[in-house]
Amino acid sequence: MALGFWGVGAPLGVFGCLFCPTAAERLTVLVLAGLFLAVGALIFRAQK
Amino acid sequence: MRLAAVDWLFIAWYFVLSIAIGLYYSRKAGQSISEYFVGGRSLPWWLLGTSMVATSFSSDTPLAVTGIVVKDGIAGNWLWWNFMLGGALTILFFAHLWRRAEVVTEVEFIDLRYSGRPARFLRGFKALYLGVPVSCITFGWVTLAMVKIIQTVFGTSGVTAMAICLGLTVFYTTLSGLWGVVATDMLLFGVAMAGSIILSVVSVEKAGGIAALVRSVRAIGAAGGKDYLAVLPPLGQALPLAFFVALFVQWWAVYYPEAEPGGGGWGAQRMLAAKDPRHAVKGTLWFTVANYVVRPWPWILTALAAMALFPGLTAAPQGQMEAAYPRMMAFLPKGIAGIVVASLFAAFMSTIESIVNLSGSYLLNDLYKPFVRKNASERHYVAASRVLVLIVSLLGAGFSFVLGSVRMGWQLVMELSAGIGLVLLLRWYWWRVSAWSEIAALSASAVTATVLKIVPDNPVTRAVGRGLGRLGFAPDPWGVGILVIVAVTTAVWIAVTFLTRPDDEAKLLAFYRKVRPGGAWGPIARLDGRRYRLQAAPFAGWALAVVMIVCLLFGLGRIIFMDWGRGAAYLAAGLACALGLSKIISRIKWEVP
Repeated sequence: MALGFWGVGAPLGVFGCLFCPTAAERLTVLVLAGLFLAVGALIFRAQK
Repeated sequence: MRLAAVDWLFIAWYFVLSIAIGLYYSRKAGQSISEYFVGGRSLPWWLLGTSMVATSFSSDTPLAVTGIVVKDGIAGNWLWWNFMLGGALTILFFAHLWRRAEVVTEVEFIDLRYSGRPARFLRGFKALYLGVPVSCITFGWVTLAMVKIIQTVFGTSGVTAMAICLGLTVFYTTLSGLWGVVATDMLLFGVAMAGSIILSVVSVEKAGGIAALVRSVRAIGAAGGKDYLAVLPPLGQALPLAFFVALFVQWWAVYYPEAEPGGGGWGAQRMLAAKDPRHAVKGTLWFTVANYVVRPWPWILTALAAMALFPGLTAAPQGQMEAAYPRMMAFLPKGIAGIVVASLFAAFMSTIESIVNLSGSYLLNDLYKPFVRKNASERHYVAASRVLVLIVSLLGAGFSFVLGSVRMGWQLVMELSAGIGLVLLLRWYWWRVSAWSEIAALSASAVTATVLKIVPDNPVTRAVGRGLGRLGFAPDPWGVGILVIVAVTTAVWIAVTFLTRPDDEAKLLAFYRKVRPGGAWGPIARLDGRRYRLQAAPFAGWALAVVMIVCLLFGLGRIIFMDWGRGAAYLAAGLACALGLSKIISRIKWEVP
């Protein structure tokens, strides 16, 4: 499950940097990417 | 809309991840039917709550909300927001009882609570009714909505992708059981929410930003004499009956999938799968907050932006209003469009996987096991579960071809069971409710709804309409219909309850000892020698939960519309209620009364 979240968060962050034309869109996508990575970390800890 | 290679790459990667998670849990699911259908009763609150909200977030939900907002404004959402009252009731009064009941399905509860042949008939009937027609209607409308989205976004070329998506979902769900379903739900809900948030931000930017969007929507409203941004319906000269029915009747009376009075369907399945009663309570609380506070605003913003960007949308037919949501996807930039398309697939998959697992559980646990093949091995039952899940999937997919519209499916389910909610609530707290009560409620509700469908304008509805008109309500056939169905159903099942014999004392005593409900269990409590009273704390908790959800919902909206002062006040009030609720929940002894 944690790998799944990291697996979505990482490309989301990369795509946000590469393809978002405006600052607001880039910020939104990067925040969401950060959330995916953070939730992945929380799940990883919970499963341990 | 044409997707770039990078978009397809993200969609393909998303599919690989979700299916890998589902398949990872398939070995665990093969151990027993308890593992397959209730995850070995080991789910933590955050997982079961997220799975509930992922399931209720279907591909058609953003479209339905878009249609509501474009037609009736933000306040139109009270059509479904009213269910938060029932949701809060489930948190405080029912979630822990479900977990204590320790049945495998909602339908098995009948066998635990009632006795004799009526109970056997009711269990078999409900297993068949919920497992086949209701599941197929739900499956059909979700699939149909997804086909419409795909056709709006891609034309017919996307339907193949959609068929592949459906096939893969059914494949891993058949193998992975409930653990696979809830684990993938975690990711699917994240992707679905991310997609809707990204689409709302892009939509608002296209509309010129929040301030410009508010000005445009106000201007559209002023031209038509409506306030699309109001969160409450206008309480002017003629009172809106639909709003009052929604607020005071619908949430406890109407059995609607995902908002069953007292919990049911996939919600009950997840409460039953919780680690313990406390996790069931906390998971249901998280579901209710996520469902009513977290989900709606991105869809509402996208709908408002669509109103500003597509002139004349408010006068368009309902189908076009709903289709405005996928139309907004044309504004997405390359690379980001793939994420939003994946989010729609995620919403679709999370609902489909839960429907097929749940219907399989009814057919196996409540039909096949008690009536067709008793005392077989666990391996046999797991294999049979997988076959049944596959059969239901095929039937549901077939049903989507004959279902006329998404709305038709919703109406069918709602109308046939419009008055049965009260009996589902009271069966936990009143010893006198019997299998006959439920049979009477189901029959009366279906018959009354059918009669009203055939003869909508009859002396009864006219008299009720006139009476409500004298009280100041605007004419509303839907509201009158619901009130008539609820009144007739309630009168019939209460009469039948008193005219038939109570259940066996031994059965009632066993239920009372196992579930330990409070309420009206006088004679049985005397037999047992212990009396579990209803405490004041859950009532206070219910009120706090409702106020908390409303404050957080409104506060978030105010903040989005840059009304900082009122937004902060609502959020502060919501957080204060959350604090109070958390204290109440931590003090109640959910495991042992």
